[in-house]
Amino acid sequence: MSIDRRRFLAGVGLAGLAMNSPLLLAKSPEKARSSPITRKIPGTNEAIPAIGMGTWITFNVGGDPILVEQRTRVLKTFFDLGGTVVDGSPMYGTAPDVMGEALAARDRVFAATKIWTGDESATREEAARSARRWGLEPFDLLQVHNLVGWQGHLETLKDMKSNGEVRYIGITTSHGRRHREFEQIMATEPVDFVQLTYNLLDREAEDRLLPLAREKGIAVIVNRPFQGGSLFRRFQSRPLPGWAADAGVSNWAEFFLKFIVSHPAVTCAIPATTKVEHMRENMGALYGELPGPGQRQQMADYVRSL
Amino acid sequence: MSYSLQDLVMFGPEVFFRLFVRINQDVWPWTLLAVLIGLLLPLLLLNNRSRFRRMGLTLVGLAWVTSGYGFLVGYFGPINWPAEGLGWAFVALGILFALMAVFGRSHPGPSRRGLFVVGWFLAILCLPWLTVAESGNWQALGVFGLAPGTTAAAGSLALACINNPWRWACLPVPIIWIVFSAATFWGLRAEWLLVLPAATLMSVGFALWLSPRQGRSPG
Repeated sequence: MSIDRRRFLAGVGLAGLAMNSPLLLAKSPEKARSSPITRKIPGTNEAIPAIGMGTWITFNVGGDPILVEQRTRVLKTFFDLGGTVVDGSPMYGTAPDVMGEALAARDRVFAATKIWTGDESATREEAARSARRWGLEPFDLLQVHNLVGWQGHLETLKDMKSNGEVRYIGITTSHGRRHREFEQIMATEPVDFVQLTYNLLDREAEDRLLPLAREKGIAVIVNRPFQGGSLFRRFQSRPLPGWAADAGVSNWAEFFLKFIVSHPAVTCAIPATTKVEHMRENMGALYGELPGPGQRQQMADYVRSL
Repeated sequence: MSYSLQDLVMFGPEVFFRLFVRINQDVWPWTLLAVLIGLLLPLLLLNNRSRFRRMGLTLVGLAWVTSGYGFLVGYFGPINWPAEGLGWAFVALGILFALMAVFGRSHPGPSRRGLFVVGWFLAILCLPWLTVAESGNWQALGVFGLAPGTTAAAGSLALACINNPWRWACLPVPIIWIVFSAATFWGLRAEWLLVLPAATLMSVGFALWLSPRQGRSPG
């Protein structure tokens, strides 16, 4: 893989982040001294931070200048705290346009978006449209959104990858839909990434999809890590367990996220938020210890007991 | 795991309530004119002179157009594409109102004028505060002629002033609005706003009950 300016800056940014980020130092000195938790993409061994950012709902703010400015601050905080993976979709209203504004002059980004059209011959046009809206080219990762027209799109994406028009390709699902078909594609198609729903309460992916991803060397992006915010609504009024610190957890966001990224098949979780303080909490899961298998079981048991 | 209605709403409550704040700020001070017209409309719609009644109905049509094109197409559409289509339906309905006002037969208006006036002022004076109560921001006032919820509730009531057979062609737009807005507000968990589609539904029923019968029209 050649090293261009973008990747060089990404490497420099990751390496220097832990020591140089004033935000981290202010928030949690002991974590600031540690390195961000990264995961390797199986196909290339490229390391990416284990916490990324989703844009579903949160970045669909239309032309509201005040909210665009707020979202830009959220994204800046994400980058300042070591994040690089940002995921979007043309389905998310004006989110790609807002992302384009917020990303202006940013080099250190792993940009992922989706192909979302029933017209299986429009893959390249859809990718080009997204690139114009984000102000980026090429994307690092293009995914077939919710398997819509996946046969045609995947063929084109494979061509695009071989031509160097995109670095990685993948497929997505959410809410546990079409897992059987998803599994079939994972087993038979050369995808680099899959994106699926996995969190403390929605654990169906553990049965077949996550083991298959490990077996086939497919990177896994996890969406809906907070179950659309309902995990907070259900549990955040309750106390963290006394052993939470031993599992590297200091708040509920870290509790939910570290459970996910400590699964050995998971590459990256992509929580979404509209608030800078929530972004800081989310990015806390990028540092410190991860729970081991026994602690993961404890976490699941604790949540079930509440 | 499965989809819930909340999963189908592509924007958050903060963004939605900011739409009201933004349109009120952007059209200021014309907001005051919209409020004034809303207050004066019963005087026009119930006037003994035919030309004032026609003018009143035309202004109601204009309110459908401005809330449809302004709020739904201009502000809401970019974050929620079905709203844009609904906005154009509001515009078409507004034009239909105006056409019926200008070219339709004149008639004396609703059969129980007192009830109509009470319903009208309840709609334009009470409903705007629902978005304020939900958002906690007084600038989010849902003004008649700008906000589609208040406009649909009051505008549907104005059907009581029409006995043209074409009034039945007006019904699909308020009905679609009721379903669309109820699903949206439920998805946003903004339960108080469900009063808006409920009020529109009541307005439609009320208007049909109050509207002059063909046979009683002076022609």
